[in-house]
Amino acid sequence: MGDSVDGGESLMALRLSRVLGSLIAIGLALLTASLFIGLAGANPVRAYYYMFVKGAFGNSVTAVETLVRATPILLVSLGLAVAFTARVWNIGAEGQLYMGGLVAAWVGLSLGGLPSSVGLTVMLLSSALAGAAWALIPAVLRAKYEINEIFTTVIMNYIALYLVSYFLTGPLRDPVSQFPESPTLPQSLWMPRLVQGVRLHLGILVAILVITPIVHFLREKTTFGFRLKLVGANPEAARYSGTDIGSIVVLSMLISGLLAGLAGGIEVSAIQHKMRMELSPGYGFTGIAVALLGNLNAVGVLLASIFMGAVINGSYTMHRMAHIPVGMAYLIQGLVIVFAVASEPISERIFRKEVVESAD
Amino acid sequence: MPIEMAIDLMRAAVRVMTPLLLAGAGEILVERCGILNLGLEGIMLLGAFSGFIVTYYTGSPWIGVLAAILVGMAANAIFGFMTVSLALDQVVTGLALTLMASGATFYLYRAIFGWYTSPVPPHVTTVIRETPIPLLSSIPVIGPVLFNQTAFTYAALLSIPLLYFVLARTRVGLEITASGEDPQVADYLGVDVVRLRYLTLLAEGALGGVAGALLSISQYNMFLDNMTAGRGFIVIAMIILGRWDPLKMTLGTLLFAFADSLQLRIQASGLLTLAWFPYQFALMLPYLLTLIALVIVGRGVKGPASLGKPYKRLR
Repeated sequence: MGDSVDGGESLMALRLSRVLGSLIAIGLALLTASLFIGLAGANPVRAYYYMFVKGAFGNSVTAVETLVRATPILLVSLGLAVAFTARVWNIGAEGQLYMGGLVAAWVGLSLGGLPSSVGLTVMLLSSALAGAAWALIPAVLRAKYEINEIFTTVIMNYIALYLVSYFLTGPLRDPVSQFPESPTLPQSLWMPRLVQGVRLHLGILVAILVITPIVHFLREKTTFGFRLKLVGANPEAARYSGTDIGSIVVLSMLISGLLAGLAGGIEVSAIQHKMRMELSPGYGFTGIAVALLGNLNAVGVLLASIFMGAVINGSYTMHRMAHIPVGMAYLIQGLVIVFAVASEPISERIFRKEVVESAD
Repeated sequence: MPIEMAIDLMRAAVRVMTPLLLAGAGEILVERCGILNLGLEGIMLLGAFSGFIVTYYTGSPWIGVLAAILVGMAANAIFGFMTVSLALDQVVTGLALTLMASGATFYLYRAIFGWYTSPVPPHVTTVIRETPIPLLSSIPVIGPVLFNQTAFTYAALLSIPLLYFVLARTRVGLEITASGEDPQVADYLGVDVVRLRYLTLLAEGALGGVAGALLSISQYNMFLDNMTAGRGFIVIAMIILGRWDPLKMTLGTLLFAFADSLQLRIQASGLLTLAWFPYQFALMLPYLLTLIALVIVGRGVKGPASLGKPYKRLR
C-alpha cells in the first residue's frame, strides 16, 4: 500500500487522517454526551446551542472568555505535546502549574517598587522556572535511574498540591482573608489588558502568537524536534544515530514543566491577581487530552485548546440555560480523549483506502 | 495505652491496604500477561462511584459491590477492545480511560445529586461491616489486626498467596507468564493470547471495581471527586517495586497503607496543635514515602519482556 504512493503524498494523507480522526473524536464525544444531556431532561441541540453559540462564541465578551480558558490549556498542552512526542509521559503538569503559580505569587509579593514590565518579566520567568524545577526531579529520575516518570509525576502532583495548601494556610497566607489564599499582588504586576472591559490580557497573545509558533518551529524544523520524534518512534534507532536519549528526556520534560509553570504564573498575574487553591480546574489534565486531540502538533494543539476552552466556558451558559451541570465539560473532555485514541485506526483505514484508490 | 494505639494503627493499615491489594492482584495478572493498564485508577474511580450510587439507592452495599464489579469489567472490556483487538497504545489508552472516568464521575455525581450546598455530602449508612472470625479474632494483637476485618480483607489477603500459586505453579499461570514474555512463542505453543488477555482484563476489572467500591462504601461512606487520589497509579508503582511478585507488592501496599493510616491518626491526635506540624505534611506523607521508595528500590526495574507491547497475530 505505502509503496504505491510517493512519500509526500502519504505523509499528507497521514496528516489529513489525523485531522479527520480528531474531528471524528469530537463528533462522537458530542454525540455520546448528548445522550447524557437527554437523560438530564434537556434538548441536546438546544444545550449545544447554549454551549457553543451563545456561551462560547456568542459575542466578543464570551469569545474572549473562551480564549481566557484556552490560554492555560494551550500552554500546558504545547509543553506536553513536546514531551509526549518523545514518549515522555509527563502526567504532572497540574502540579507544575501550581508550583509556577505559587512561586509567581511569592516572587510578585516580594518584589517591591520595580517597574511593571521588569516586575512582570521576573515574576513570569520565575513561575516558568519553578514549573521546570518541579519537572526536573521526575526527569532526572527517569533519565538517570530508569524510574518511570508516569508514577513520579502523578505522585508529585499530590505533593505539589499539599505544598501549595501549606503555603496558602501558612507563610504566604493573606492575614485578612478568611480563605487559604495569598495577599493580592500590587496592580503593577497584573497582566495588562489590551481592551477595556474584557479580560483580553497580554498572556493570551503571547501564548498564541509567540509560544505556539516557537513550539511549532522547535518540533517541526529543528534537529531537536527531529530527535524528539526519533526517540518517541524508535529509541534504538535514536541511540544508534548518536542521540543522547537521557538529555532528550530531560529537555522535553523541562520544556513541558516550563510551560505548565508559566501557565500558572499567567493565571496568577492575569486572572486571579493572587495565588489560590482553585487556581486551576484541572488544566494540567485537560492539557493531556488536548495534546493528544491536537495530534501533538502545535497548530492542532492550538485548535484543540480553543475547542476545550469553548467547552469549559460554554458549559456555564449551558448550565444556566439548560440546567446541565457544569461538569459536562469534563465528561466531554473524557469522551473526546477516549474517542481520539480509538479513532486513529478508523480514520487511518478510511484514508489508506483513499490513498490506494487515488494511486491506482 | 500505646499498645492499643499501635493495634488500632495496624488494624487500620490492613483495612486501608485491602483495596490496594485487590487492585494490585488484578493489575499483576494483566501485567504478567503483557498488558500495562494505566486505566486502573479510572476503574477504581468508576467502582467507587457505581458502588456508592447503587448502595445509596438500594440500601445494600452488596448490590453496590456487584454493580462496581460489573462497571469495572465493562470498563476493562473497552480497554481490552482498544488495546488487544485494535492494538492501540496501552499507555495512551489507559491514561485516556482514567481521564474519562474522572470526567464521567464528576459529571454524573452532579447530575444525580445536583449542586450540593449542604456541608454534609450525601453518604451511605449501610456499610460493609466487619465479620470477626470466631476464635482467631480473640488472639491478642493478631486477632483484631487480621481477623476482625471485613470479608473483603480476608479475600484480599487470601488472593495474594493464591495469585502467587496460580502464576508459579499452574498451567494457566504459565500461559499467562508466557503471553507476557513472548506472545509469539506462546501462540505457537497453542496459547490463545488474545482470549487470555481479555480474561485477565475482566478479572482485573472486577477486582479494581471492588477496590474502588471499598473506598466509597467501606472507608469513607461517601463519594468524593477523584477520591482514588492516585491509588491506582500507586498500586502499579508498588508492583514495579515488587518486581511483579504478589508477595513483594503486598509489602509496598502495606507501606502506603501504613503511612496513610498514620497520617490520619497524626491529624486526629492533638500532635498538630502541640508541635505546629502542618497537616498538609501529614497528608503528603504516603505520597512522599512512595516517591522515596521508588527512588531507592525502583531503579532500572525490568518487567515482563512484552509488557505494554501490542500483540498482532500474524496470519
